[in-house]
Formats: sequence, C-alpha cells, structure tokens
Amino acid sequence: MVARRRRRAARDGEDAVPSPPGYSALPVKFSEQQRASHYLYLRQHRVREGAQSTWPQKRTLFVLNVPPYCTEECLMRLLSPCGTIRSVELQRKPELAENRKENKSKYFHPKPVPGFQVAYVVFQKPGGVAAALTLKGPLLISTESHPVKSGIHKWISDYADSVPDPEALRVEVDTFMEAYDQKIAEEENRAKEEEGVPDEEGWVKVTRRGRRPVLPRTEAASLRVMEKEKRKRARKELLNFYAWQHRETKMEHLAQLRKKFEEDKQRIELMRAQRKFRPY
Amino acid sequence: GTMGPAPAGKQPSGAAREPEVIEPALEDSGKEKKKVSLKKRARAESPAESLLQPVKLSREELYKEPTNEELNRLRETEILFHSSLLRLQVEELLKEVRLSEKKKDRIDTFLREVNQRIKRVPPTPETVLTDQSWLPAGVQVPLHQVPYTVKGSFRFLPPSQVTIIGSYLLGTCIRPDINVDVALTMPREIFQDKDGLNQRYFRKRALYLAHLAHFLAKDPLFGSVRFSYTNGCHLKPLLLLRPCGKDEHLVTVRLHPCPPLDYFRPCRLLPTKNNVRSAWYRGQSLPEGEPPTPHYNTWLLQDSALESHVQMLSTGLGSAQGLKDGVALLKVWLRQRELDKGLGGFNGFLISMLVTFLVSTRKIHTTMSGYQVLRSVLQFLGEAARLGKVSLNSDWLLCTPQPALADFHQVFPVVFLDSSGLLNLCADVTASTYHQVQHEAQLSMALLDSKADDAFQLLLMTPKPMIRAFDHVVHLHPLSRLQAACHRLKLWAELQDSGGDYVSAALGPLTTLLEQGLRSRLHLLAHSRPPVPEWDINQDPPKHKDSGTLTLGLLLRPEGLTSVLELGPEADQPEAADFRQFWGSRSELRRFQDGAIREAVVWEAASMSQKRLIPHQVVTHLLALHADIPESCVHYVGGFLGALIQSPKETSSTGEEALAKAVHCYDDLSRLLWRLEGLPLTVSAVQGTHPVLRYTEVFPPVPVRPAYSFYSHLQERASLLPRPDKPCPAYVEPITMVCHLEGSGQWPQDAEAVRRVRAAFQLRLAEVLAQQHKLQCRATATHTDVLKDGFVFRVRVAYQKEPQILREVRSPEGMISLRDTPASLHLERDTKLLPLLTSALHGLQQQHPAFSGVARLAKRWVRAQLLGEGFTDESLDLVSAALFLHPEPFTPPSSPQVGFLRFLSLVSTFDWKNNPLIVNLNGELTAEEQVEIRSGFLAARTRLPVMVILTPQDRKSSVWTQDGPSAQILQQLVILAAEALPILEKQLMDPRGPGDIRTVFRPPLDMYDVLIRLTPRHIPRHRQAVDPPAASFCRGLLSEPGPSSLMPVVGYDPPQLYLAQLREAFGDLALFFYDQYGGDVIGVLWKPTSFQPQPFKASCTKGHMVVSQGGELVMVPNVEAILEDFAVLGEGLVQAVEARSEKWTV
Repeated sequence: MVARRRRRAARDGEDAVPSPPGYSALPVKFSEQQRASHYLYLRQHRVREGAQSTWPQKRTLFVLNVPPYCTEECLMRLLSPCGTIRSVELQRKPELAENRKENKSKYFHPKPVPGFQVAYVVFQKPGGVAAALTLKGPLLISTESHPVKSGIHKWISDYADSVPDPEALRVEVDTFMEAYDQKIAEEENRAKEEEGVPDEEGWVKVTRRGRRPVLPRTEAASLRVMEKEKRKRARKELLNFYAWQHRETKMEHLAQLRKKFEEDKQRIELMRAQRKFRPY
Repeated sequence: GTMGPAPAGKQPSGAAREPEVIEPALEDSGKEKKKVSLKKRARAESPAESLLQPVKLSREELYKEPTNEELNRLRETEILFHSSLLRLQVEELLKEVRLSEKKKDRIDTFLREVNQRIKRVPPTPETVLTDQSWLPAGVQVPLHQVPYTVKGSFRFLPPSQVTIIGSYLLGTCIRPDINVDVALTMPREIFQDKDGLNQRYFRKRALYLAHLAHFLAKDPLFGSVRFSYTNGCHLKPLLLLRPCGKDEHLVTVRLHPCPPLDYFRPCRLLPTKNNVRSAWYRGQSLPEGEPPTPHYNTWLLQDSALESHVQMLSTGLGSAQGLKDGVALLKVWLRQRELDKGLGGFNGFLISMLVTFLVSTRKIHTTMSGYQVLRSVLQFLGEAARLGKVSLNSDWLLCTPQPALADFHQVFPVVFLDSSGLLNLCADVTASTYHQVQHEAQLSMALLDSKADDAFQLLLMTPKPMIRAFDHVVHLHPLSRLQAACHRLKLWAELQDSGGDYVSAALGPLTTLLEQGLRSRLHLLAHSRPPVPEWDINQDPPKHKDSGTLTLGLLLRPEGLTSVLELGPEADQPEAADFRQFWGSRSELRRFQDGAIREAVVWEAASMSQKRLIPHQVVTHLLALHADIPESCVHYVGGFLGALIQSPKETSSTGEEALAKAVHCYDDLSRLLWRLEGLPLTVSAVQGTHPVLRYTEVFPPVPVRPAYSFYSHLQERASLLPRPDKPCPAYVEPITMVCHLEGSGQWPQDAEAVRRVRAAFQLRLAEVLAQQHKLQCRATATHTDVLKDGFVFRVRVAYQKEPQILREVRSPEGMISLRDTPASLHLERDTKLLPLLTSALHGLQQQHPAFSGVARLAKRWVRAQLLGEGFTDESLDLVSAALFLHPEPFTPPSSPQVGFLRFLSLVSTFDWKNNPLIVNLNGELTAEEQVEIRSGFLAARTRLPVMVILTPQDRKSSVWTQDGPSAQILQQLVILAAEALPILEKQLMDPRGPGDIRTVFRPPLDMYDVLIRLTPRHIPRHRQAVDPPAASFCRGLLSEPGPSSLMPVVGYDPPQLYLAQLREAFGDLALFFYDQYGGDVIGVLWKPTSFQPQPFKASCTKGHMVVSQGGELVMVPNVEAILEDFAVLGEGLVQAVEARSEKWTV
C-alpha cells in the first residue's frame, strides 16, 4: 500500500514536482532504462549582502543534488541548450569562493571518489540562467550519442588513468622545486640584508643563522628549559625532614588509599549490576 | 568447642533459629530490599550508568581524620589481601555462592522430615542375596550384579543412625547445586562375617537403597527420588531426594548407606590385600596368586570412615570463617576448571581434607582470610610438582601400625593418606588429573603474583572448558571399544578390582601410553571424567558404555612440534628392542649424518599445519597398536578450522609456508635497497608495514605470472590493464613497506616541498632499481611499485622529520609550537607506528608459531560476518596478539583452533566500555605503567573510541581503532561472537565429528534491508569465499613461470571500488557490509535517523527529494532512485538489487 502511495506521488510529480521555495526542481536520470529519477534543485546564484563571491551573481546557476555519475562535461552538455556556458564547477559542498582547480596537481591531489555534489554553472548571459530554471526534464545523463561510463568500464578506464607517466611527474616536480628554491633563496637574501641592520625603532633581529646563534624559539625548547629549572629546585628540597612534612606524606598516602577504595567500590557496583559475580 | 557430626534429628539447634513468628516481618523487609536492589540494577544497566566515571572526592573527604575502624580495615586489606578491589570481589563472590540463612531454614525443615520418613521405612524378612523376588515391582537394584551368584543373606532394617555429613554441616557448601550428604548407618544385624569379600557388602548396600527408594518414592514429600553414584564409583550407588513443588531445586539430599562402626577390620583392607576372589569373579583361580584389590578396599574404607572424616574436618576447619571461605573459593576454582566432577575428580571433600592437612602442618593458619587460604593451597599444590613428587603427605599419621607408604605408592599414582594412615583419599585420582591440578595451580599462582588488575576475574570467574583450554582434543567413541582395550592391555586384575568398570580401568594405562608416545610434543595430557549419571529407580543402572565419551585434552609444546622425527636408541643398544616394541611397524633403522645407525620413526608432514597434527598420527597409531582401538573410534579434533584459511586449491598447508616465502622475498628486496647506489641520500631503514610481513594476511600472496593475452597492454609504461570483455583478472595486493632516507640539511622545511622531494626520490628509486637490478618498477608521487619474483612491493619513501614539519604551528609571537594535525597523525601512524607494530608481531610469530593461524582465522571470521570494514587489520591483529601475550587463565595457544575459540570468547566477554585492552608487546610495560594507563583511560574515556587497544608505543590514543568500529558495529560483533562460540564448541565436542565447520562463518543476512548480489565474473577473489565455488572464472594467470617484464594489474578489485563509490554517495543514508574475501553479496542497512523527514537545507540534499507532507515541504531520501543508482554505479558487477524490507518507507 505504501508503495502504491509512492507511485501516486511520483505520478503527481509529473504535473508539479514539489520544490523548495526559491528553487525549481528538475528530474534527472542516468538513462532511459531507469524508472525513478533524482531531482536537481536549481536557483540563480545569490549571496547575502556583504558576502563575497567569485561567481558572477546574475549569470551563475546554482545546482543542488547532482548525482555521482554526472560529470562536469555532462552538465555542460545537458544545460547548453539554455545558452552558452562559460564554466561548470562541481563541488562537494556549497562554497562561495571559486576553487582554484588549475593549480591542483593531478599527482599530488588526486580526485576524490564523487558522491552527490553541487554545481555552479556560469553562463555567458543572464538569460541562460532563466532558461535553465524553466527546464522540464527529465534530463538523461547517458544517451546513445553520448554514453557515460559507469561500473566496470569506468573502473577500468580509471585504472588506466592511474598508471602514472613518470616523465610528466618529473617535469612537474622540477618546476615546483625550481620555484620553491627561488623563493627560499630570495628569503635568505632578504634575511642576510636585514642581518644586523636595526629597524626604525632601533631593534636588531637576532637569528639562528647569525654569528652568535641563539636557542630556536620553539615550544619544545622552552619546555626543556623549564624542566631543567624544576629539577634543579627539587634537588635542593628536603623530603620528610620536618614533622609536618612527614604527617602530610602519611595523610597523602591515606587519601590515595581512600580514593582507590572509592574507585574499587564503584567497580564492584558495576560488576554486581552486570551480574559479574555469578561464577557459572 | 568443635562441632561434631550431629544426628539429623537434633540437627537444627533450636537456639540459633527463632520460630516462624517473626517470619512475616522478615519476609516484608526482604521484599522491600529486593525491590530496591531491582531498581538499583535497572538503573545501573542503563547505558550511562554502566560506564565507570573517574571518582571525585572532595578535599575534606579525602583528608579527614581517619577513624580507628577505617585504619583497621585498610591495614587488614593490605595484609590479608592484595588490594581492596580483590577483597571486595572475594566478598561479593562469597555472598553469591553462600547459602542464605532463609534457605538454610527451609533445608533444615526438609531434613527433619526426611529423617522421620527414613526411620519409618518398614523392615523386611531375611532372604538370601540371590533371591531378590521380595523387591516390589517398580524398583531396580542400582548395581550391576556381575557375577550374580554371591553368598550371604539380606534383610532391611531401618538405619541405626542418620547423620548429616559433608559440606552442608561444615558450612562450606556452595550454590548453585546444594547437596546435603546424609549417612545411614545400616544396623549390625544385616551383616554376616566376611561381607567385605566379593562385593557382598556392596550388594547389600544396593538392596538397602532399593528398598528405601521404593518406600520414599511413594511419599508426596519428595518431588523426585532417583539413583546416582557416589563420586561416579559404580559399586556405590546413592539415593537422591529432592523436595517437591517450588523447592525442587532448593536442595538435593544424598543418602549414603554405611556399615556400623568398626565392622571392617582395617588390616584386611590394606592396599596389598585381595578382597575379590578370582575364583568368584573370573570363574577360575589364578596359579600366581590373588591380585591385590586396592580400589575396592578403598571404597569399603571410605564408607566406614564417613563419620570420622567429618569429625576431622569439623575439628580442622572449626569455627574459623577464613578457612571455610577458603574452601568455598577453592571449590569455585576447581569447578571452573572442570576438575571436581566424576570418579577421581578433585572434589570439595578432597580439597577440604587438604586444607585441614595444611592447617595441621601449620602451612595455613586459622586466622587467615579465605583469599590467603586459596593462595596457600595453590602454592602448596604448585610446589609439590616442582619437587617432582606425586605424594601429598604425610606426617600426620598418628596411629600404629602403619602400612608401608611404599605399598600405597606401588598401587596408586597419587597418595594422600588420611589421619588413620590406611585410607588413600586420592585413590581414584589419576596421575593425569593430578598433573592437571598442579598445572592449574602453577598458572594461578603466576597470575596472582603478577598482581594483574583482573586476577580475580581470571582466577575464579572464567570457566575453562576442555575445548577452550587445550590445543587439541581427542574423543574416544564409542566407549565400548575400551573393553577390548582392557583385554589387549591385559588389565584383568584392574577390572576385578574396579568391579568391571573398564573405562576407569583403561584410563590410567591409556594416558601413560600416549604421554610416552607424545613426549617432546606434549606439555600436558588431561582426560575428561565420565559424568556421574542419574537414573529413575525403576530403571537399570546405566552401563559403562553409556557414560558418554572419553575426551582427552592435549596441551602441546610448540618447540617440539617442528620435528618429524622420533629418535630412538642406536640399533645395537638393548633399549632398541623396547623402542621397536613401542612403535611397532613405524620404527625403522636409519643412518644419520653423524654416522650412527638408530631406530627412528619418521612422520609424514611437509607443512607447518601438518606438523602440528603429528600428534594425531601418534595417537591413532599407538591406540591401534597397543589398545586395539581402531582409527574409526578415535576422533581427533585439531585441524578442522584449517580449511578456512587454506588458499584455494591448497590442501596440505594453511599458508604459513607461502607467507614465509613472501617474507623471504621482502628480505631480499630490503637488502637490495640497503645497498643501492646512486641515490642522493642513503637509505637509513627499511621496514615492512603490510600484514603479510607480520604473518597475519588471511590469504598469503602468490607469485603472479600473468598470461599477456588476457590483458590489454600499455606498452609505453610497461603495464598490463584489465579488459572489459574478460573476467576480472586475479587480485594482486601490493605488499607495502617503508624506506626511510637519512636526514640531511638538504631536505626543505616546507610540507609541500617535502612531498615533491619525496616524489623525486620515488622516481629515482624506480630508475636505480631498474638499472642496477633489472626489476620492473613503477613510480607515483607517493610510492614505487616493484615487481620482484612475482610479488609486487609498494615501497614508500619516508623522511623522519616530515610529521614534525606537518605539526609545526607558528604563534603570533613567532614561537613555534607542535600541534597534532590529522595529516601528521596519519603520516606518523603509517611510517612510524605501523612498522613498529609489524616488527613486534613478526617477533611474536617467531615465539608463538600458532599466532599466524589464530590471527588469520580471527580476521577471516570477522570479515566473513561482513564486518570487516569497521575493524582495521591492525586492531584485529592486536586482539589476537593479546591472546598470546595475556593468555591468563590459559597458557598461550599452540593451535589455531584453541586460539580462535579464545578470540571469540575474548571479544564476546570483554567489557570494552570500561576497560582498555592493553597489549603489552615485548613486555615493555611495567605493572605500574599499566595502572597508570588504566587511570588515564578512565579520565579520558569519553574522548576515546568505543574499542580501545593500547600498546607500549601507543599508550593513550588507540590509533588503530580511531576510525571505527562504531558502537553499533562493535555491539554486533560481540553478539555474533557470543552466538558463534557455543555453536562451534558444541560442534568440536561432538564425538561423531564437527559436521559443517563453516557454519559459524556464514553471516546472517536476514537483518539487511537491501541485498546487492554481485556477479562472480568480476569478483577477483571469488575462490576465497567461505563456501568456495566448485568452479570460477579464469583470472589470466599462467601455471608455468612466464616472462615478467610487464607490471601486472595491481590492487584492482571491482567490489572494493564499487563500495568506495557507494559509501561516498550514500554513506549518510546507509551502511554497507561486505566480505572482501570473495563475498558475492553486499548487505545494506538504512540508517533510521536519516529517514526522518527533514526541513529543506541546501547543505544536505544528497540523494533526497522534496515532498509535501501534511501541507509542509520536507526532504526524504529518494529511495527508489537510490536503489536504481546501486545498479547504475555497479554496472557489470551488480547482478541484482533486492529490497527486502519496507523499513525505508516514510
């Protein structure tokens, strides 16, 4: 009976798919064969007053609930009838700032396994967004003319892609390291220039590299110094010398025993509750 | 004063107990108390309450002036007990097992009634013993009367005295089965001269009981009247009386008829005397003279000493509560070890006598606490073994003339004389049983001395059933074969002595035979004692062959298991003949490398698992050769579980050899890495991290030889690729290892730059290995895959300071502090802790060869239950390691079978909520450090994962369980383990064979909401399934070594790739369960919480749809579309998606 109610709900959906306020719902399916569809929720990209966003407000379409098998190319193809598309960006969570994907290396930041994502689609003109909001669907992700790989075929092609090209990797590493070395060299040069030169208030910066190196300013180092001091002090102190010290030690011992006793009692109480004293 | 044996009529000393008048009041308060405690219990069981909290006491409470009473108690605790916890635990246990006063009153009332009833049984006229026609119908004589003819006559007269004896009187009886022993002194008129001869006394005793039984059975007072045997002795039946109605389980009164005082002349019952004539028993007298009948004599003596023993015990234990508590604790201790039941068991009487004896020799003092008594007795039992003695005493002999102690030693393996010096209390105890008691005592002492936190739990609360305590067990079934064995072993005198009980007659000689044959392989051999039967009075007593199964337990000596050879004496030595006689046809003359020619036996065993089962060959061979017990009657239980960890197509080995081969190859590779030239920095360490390298990989890798035609090729990168039109190729798991490079000023100080430098090293490593050693390599940014001898190793370059760089945080003042970040923890775990763990467990395997089998069986089982995802490899390996490092109260397992059973037991009984599992690898933690770890655990409990496993390297955070299991998954594992353990133990204890050993490995599937069936074509490990398929697909491997210039397909497992996608896409909505070892079904469980309709929120629309419900727009999971997604994402792999429940409907 419940299933029937479901089916009715789905049929009603053909007339008017319920959508959250401000969004329009767009059914999407993997291919013709699927019966049920997911719903994309579309909206024009807006931000609250004062918030910064790199996406152009009027021309960007914000899409929720993009299924895992839907790639950026797919989305580009499916929405292009609405107008020329500048870019499509898929993300795990809604984020205001554009994720600079270009600088992410394929080797050092491999693409994660996709789940349901959100998309920012930037059209050339604001009209594209409006057209997209009136789409009826259902969109088909994989069609005969544009098949999308899934399952075994996808995993095999993923595997082939994962076999690395050592030359390309080497080139990338070398480029990065050259830039890095240059940056370090510059910093060192600057440090050398500043060495011994007082700033406008007359302070001189002392560094580890100078003629008279100092302790590095790390937490570990300062802890070490404190520890040393403490030990030095402890060595000088007398133990159980005065009567009151002796009394206090005894009392401390008693308190320890009491505390232990309380803990044990709690343990026993628990074991009793768990019937831990029934031997068999 | 001392309490003497009191006649039952006078028993309840009126003064102690007030009449019934105050009863209602008592009852009321009792009820109220019960209510309160029930409430308390209910509260304590609610989850929040059952968690231990760190104790918070105010300063005033901690530092107030102590009262005298408090000081006394604290001092007492320190002196008499190890710790206050132990004291409280012992007190609780005693409270639990001790008989309440209220029940005692009810029992006393019942006893008074019994006494009156017995006195009222009418006498019968005298008849000859062979004429039993006077016995009314409906009662059978509870004795096998073989041979039937016997001289003498019998009449029934009411007992001259009815006396309560035994533990009830002494106040040492313990719950749950309360027995009250009552001695019935048969009047002198019943007996004639020489009734001690030829079982006449026992016949009369049995007839006496039969008549009594007939009359008592008619009485409505009794719920049941049945026969049983006294301590399992077949000549001495006894009558069991139980109250009727609701009191049926309150008490069992056991009636023991006994002869009048001084009826038997002790000098006739010395162990050297004969009292069963061969002419009568065998029908012919022996020319060599009559054999002595020591056991028969002892049984007569026992009956006549009943009262004097009780007197002695009352004097000895007296009013000292500590001694009684001690006896009660010892009884619990024995019972947990299954040592107290049956003929020759170490029962409560024996242990009370031992305590009395130790009191008399001043080894125990009457002011000692129960715990101290327990300790002293264990110490005594354990030390007696160290001296190599099997005799327990004896300098409390008082009367003269004494028979020579040597006479006793000649006929009894264990001698413990009572104060008369005539009666061996341990007459029925076999040497094996005594050795077992000693072994247990030594283990327990070691445990107590270790001051372990949970000593009490392990010592007194943990049962040690045979199947879980011994490495292998052997069932002899059917028992009737032992009759033939007795003849083959020429045990006629013993049969004559034991009145035809061939099971106990054969027991001693059989265990001696096997002990001799197993020598170097055996640590301890124990045997079960036949259970004491009970039967209705209208039935014949059960036959010897009906007393179930004889089960032997073998505790193996791992160092002796590696040899396939029994080395005998040199051929010309006189002992050679004995050796040949002992081993029969298996003994052969062999020439050894040192030139000696010796007798020797060589067993067939190629692999480690076969060597472990050599005792099987030894046992079957010796039993057939010497005891005429055919192989079909010997059911050896030791290697059945091996089938679960055997590689597909492998039958002779459980994988230890294959693992060793992979480890060997790894060693070669690490040597190459050490000596590698041409790297800018030198290699400072090479460490393994993969389970293969600690011998815990369930299915060890095999060298791959790909058939090239099966794959597509990526020529320019010398790699093979899977083909969509072929079945999934064989799964090749890369064996991971870490290669540390030396520190140097050249390393950059920036995390991103370090990654690039490491990548450069990975590339360089691949180049150099390919150039210098012609190995096929493939480098990525994070690792280099190396193909060597068909194994693929994944070498990861590590820089020691990298975790530190990842931790550095610069404060605004320019101070650099170190803070753990997920990335740094992850890196430290993989490159520092994991290698340490791997090498520690590798070492453990060298010490305990069974570790590999246990750890692999355990992992196999957890994953077969589809719970593999929740538990890391390392956490399960550590649990298995704990079984070896903390085996108490057992010894470390020497067979995978027993280890696996203990794994199930540990998992199902461990209180994960309140305790960390401390695995003391290499014994690095001291007792104090462990205490510290425990208190640290309590304080941090809420921040720690649900399952906490701590090691010397990881004392606080439990790294291997950080990411799971969740509380639900752990709970599920606990439930499944608790269900599997009794099933498996029952199977293994079944003398007819275990049946289907894979039963407990099959997962329950009915709990899942959706099942996703996978097609075997794309499951690369399909053949590893719990139920291996008869046929599977070709996986593109050659059986012959082929060219190995191309990198095989590495780490390609479609079900795992599919699962990763499912979890990423639907992880918020459902849990996915799968057995990575060839499972062909994925279980899906919807998360109930995510099916609650939610208001719309842009951040969590994943897979949801908006529906209007009651005029409101809410989001619910789009289940129908999701079910179709399951099929879409796994196209080609998924066979069917079965939705099995309607739970998901909203």
